Amino acid sequence: MDHSSQKGFFSFIIDAIRWNLSGGVGYWFFLLILAGFMGSGVYSYSVQFREGLSATGMNNIVSWGLYISNFTFLVGVAAAAVMLILPAYVFHDPDFHRVVIIGEGVAVGALVMCLSFITVDLGGPLKVWHLIPGIGLFNWPSSILAWDVIVLNGYLLLNTLVPCYILYCHYKGLPADERKYRPFVFLSIFWAVSIHMVTAFLYQGLPARPFWNNPLLGPRFLASAFAAGPALIALVLAVIDSTTSFKIDSKLFNKLRLIIVIAAVINLIMLFSEVFKEFYTQTHHSLSAVYLFFGLDGHDALVPWIWTAVAMNITATLVLALYPGGRPKVLLPALVLLFFGIWIEKGMGLIVPGLIPSPMGEVVDYSPTWVEINITLGILALGIFVVTWLIRPAIRVEERYETIRKSDVPV
Amino acid sequence: MGVPKKDEYRAVDDFVGRILSRKNDRRSFLKGAVVTGSALALSGCGNGLPGMGEESVLAWQEFFKANYRLMTETEKRDTVTRLEKLARIRQGIDVRISTREPRENVLFGYGFNISRCEGYMDCVAACVKENNVDRRSKTQYIRIFEMEHGKMNVDAGDGKYFHEVPVDGHFYMGVQCFQCENPPCVKACPTKATWQEPDGIVVVDYDWCIGCRYCMAACPYWGRRFNWNDPEVPSSEITRRQHYLGNRMRSRGVMEKCTFCIQRSREGRNTACVEACPTGSRVFGNLLDPDSEIRFVLAHKKVFRMKEELGTEPKFWYFMD
Amino acid sequence: MIRFSATFSLLAALFLGVLLSGCREGGGHAAGVAERIKEAQAPIAVDSTITDADFPEKTVLAMEEYQGGFFRVEARRELIERYPCTGCHNEKEVTVADGAAQAHGDIVLEHGEKGRRLVCFACHKPDNRNLLEAEEGFAVDFDHSYRVCGYCHFRQKRDWIGGAHGKRMEFWAGARVVKNCTSCHDPHSPRFKKRWPKTYSLPLT
Repeated sequence: MDHSSQKGFFSFIIDAIRWNLSGGVGYWFFLLILAGFMGSGVYSYSVQFREGLSATGMNNIVSWGLYISNFTFLVGVAAAAVMLILPAYVFHDPDFHRVVIIGEGVAVGALVMCLSFITVDLGGPLKVWHLIPGIGLFNWPSSILAWDVIVLNGYLLLNTLVPCYILYCHYKGLPADERKYRPFVFLSIFWAVSIHMVTAFLYQGLPARPFWNNPLLGPRFLASAFAAGPALIALVLAVIDSTTSFKIDSKLFNKLRLIIVIAAVINLIMLFSEVFKEFYTQTHHSLSAVYLFFGLDGHDALVPWIWTAVAMNITATLVLALYPGGRPKVLLPALVLLFFGIWIEKGMGLIVPGLIPSPMGEVVDYSPTWVEINITLGILALGIFVVTWLIRPAIRVEERYETIRKSDVPV
Repeated sequence: MGVPKKDEYRAVDDFVGRILSRKNDRRSFLKGAVVTGSALALSGCGNGLPGMGEESVLAWQEFFKANYRLMTETEKRDTVTRLEKLARIRQGIDVRISTREPRENVLFGYGFNISRCEGYMDCVAACVKENNVDRRSKTQYIRIFEMEHGKMNVDAGDGKYFHEVPVDGHFYMGVQCFQCENPPCVKACPTKATWQEPDGIVVVDYDWCIGCRYCMAACPYWGRRFNWNDPEVPSSEITRRQHYLGNRMRSRGVMEKCTFCIQRSREGRNTACVEACPTGSRVFGNLLDPDSEIRFVLAHKKVFRMKEELGTEPKFWYFMD
Repeated sequence: MIRFSATFSLLAALFLGVLLSGCREGGGHAAGVAERIKEAQAPIAVDSTITDADFPEKTVLAMEEYQGGFFRVEARRELIERYPCTGCHNEKEVTVADGAAQAHGDIVLEHGEKGRRLVCFACHKPDNRNLLEAEEGFAVDFDHSYRVCGYCHFRQKRDWIGGAHGKRMEFWAGARVVKNCTSCHDPHSPRFKKRWPKTYSLPLT
């Protein structure tokens, strides 16, 4: 045991920051790029703040756009951490246990992005205190958006506290007391499902929007999340494996691959089921789907995107399922394809057509402005930054802890 | 039906009461915030014109005020005074903002005669003028759809026509907020910034709305509008008789909607669209008065409501001669 | 594992319970507004704060009753340019050359079906031009022209009396005051004319 068991929480934080500020040229270059995107995002947001949301491409018909699309997708990524937490903590799988902290880091990053996207989408961001119970007025349990505020913040809290506690114990060289964090792990498993179901209910509960008002939406959200989220985590793990001394067993990638394939196949089945329902007997309610897949009244901004997404999804799912040769060389591009395929399909491909045509049947196209795109890129950079700054010290602590444990074993 | 309604009001009263009983800590928080805010504002504008200082103090006090439904009579008076002062500073005009309460035994209802409307859109113009709606984005609460004979779905109608009307073989259908008895927008709002008044009008507390636009997504009738930019109305065109929940000036980033011209209807007047309609296609009145015109329409005409299957219970009926 | 699933189902049940409680809220009027309206059968006292002085237009008591009793209607007689008509149409014959064209040349008579257009004396009383007449012996003041119109347009008149045709002036509350037929319709050419709309909705494409 080294002296670090006497160290307090404060020095844990200081050390974490210190470690994050040390790195090679590549690391600093990476941070610089992120800072560039974040800077342009902050500037663009100042423009939007000054001019109002008219600086975006949204209007009274397409009243939600790029921000809410990304929010919806990223809630799924956040929820997908459960796909590591469940095997790690409940089934005590050693491979998953080793990397679960990385999954949780990705979830926290995704949640930070979610909350940022919601904030930049608000017309009155300074008035968010109206949402705080006590000084504001919270329309709970009636408003699903109020539910979403609770579940997202709660999940952020859970996913910060549990890994923080475990890491802090490991930092001190002590094993974390499972009895202390186990209840919170169970809660976070349940909570992960609920954040995504509640986000789905946000749309699913609106009879005004037949494209969303569909009982399959919630389950489909989960399926696509459990494909895209672990895909992202696998990519992050691959990056860690290649850039740090923290090596990841290829067995783990195979396990993740299985999870992803199953979720992706279920997602595709559900997508097919929806497409069948919309097009076999085309009703008045199918217009959004027609707009999405084929265009309506000469408006077809999303058509190339959705077909790209479908092609990406199917290709990636096939590659992942067949896994020719079992080589990571094909695995990683397939994961990238799947991730971006679901991003398009579940982001812009879900939110925008839900609002087109308007309830009065009017069709317009939506395309984000540069302000919107810059803010979005800025928030994504912020998320990547948060994930980096969470995972780097975590790996360092874990590696050190692993060596301590190993040296302890003979004793 | 009268009984559950009453219960519901009681529930709201109880809720408001509970909030108010906790008002001490709430108030002190807000008061502290207002003082801090004002101090900040004052120090920030120390070198500015005195008028500027007053404007920012008023704006800060406005920023920290409560939801309209939780305000005491004094608070309502104070905010109205502040808003009237702000109108003088910002637009250079004297406005009168009312907080007139709903009348007893009144539930507003609306009838629209689709065999009479000729599509002149006088109602649309009158509505924009009366309600101080943003001219820059050309926001309108009312849409008139030109519909071909043989189809009854608004989707098939043309809401963008601009040619001589009426066109043969067509009829015209007006759409606006239907003041649903079971409004999905109210249910959606996360901050209780929109609600149904006892006289049936669905209103928005513009200063409480955070601009998330969930209500907009929830409305099956496209009845709500958002202020994407700072609303612009030439001072000379501003309707000065205003209501807190009605046509007072909105700011950027908040929702607004048709309120059956609450500033007029609460005073017993016809809404601006009824007043402007040259063909008498619009019928407005009290649904609880068996002698009212709207009740005559419901009793003697075959009426229908838009998207009735959604269970929103619009208080807006279409009828034919 | 048993403990896990028990916790999980408990949480799920709790979650669903609260979520469903949200569903009930706002569904208070499930029985519908129609029922609420049906129950409201007691007449509501007329708002006495609105008086005749609130109307810029002159009104007269209508010679009809609606479901709520007597009501008033916009007076039209004084708005006629050269009233009284007997100023010209008196015992002496009108001998001015082109008199009819000069006095009434602006009138386009487009009332009645094509080929069976109405003539002046379908409505105007031949022997007393200050009055209207739909049938011999049925003389009507210009203020009460609805009685003449209703002679043919009895369906519209029924709707007008009830409130489904025409409209109330200024107020929905207070004692009932409605527009007259000729307030909106030109009696000589009652159909509304084709014209450009007052405004347009933003092209949203």
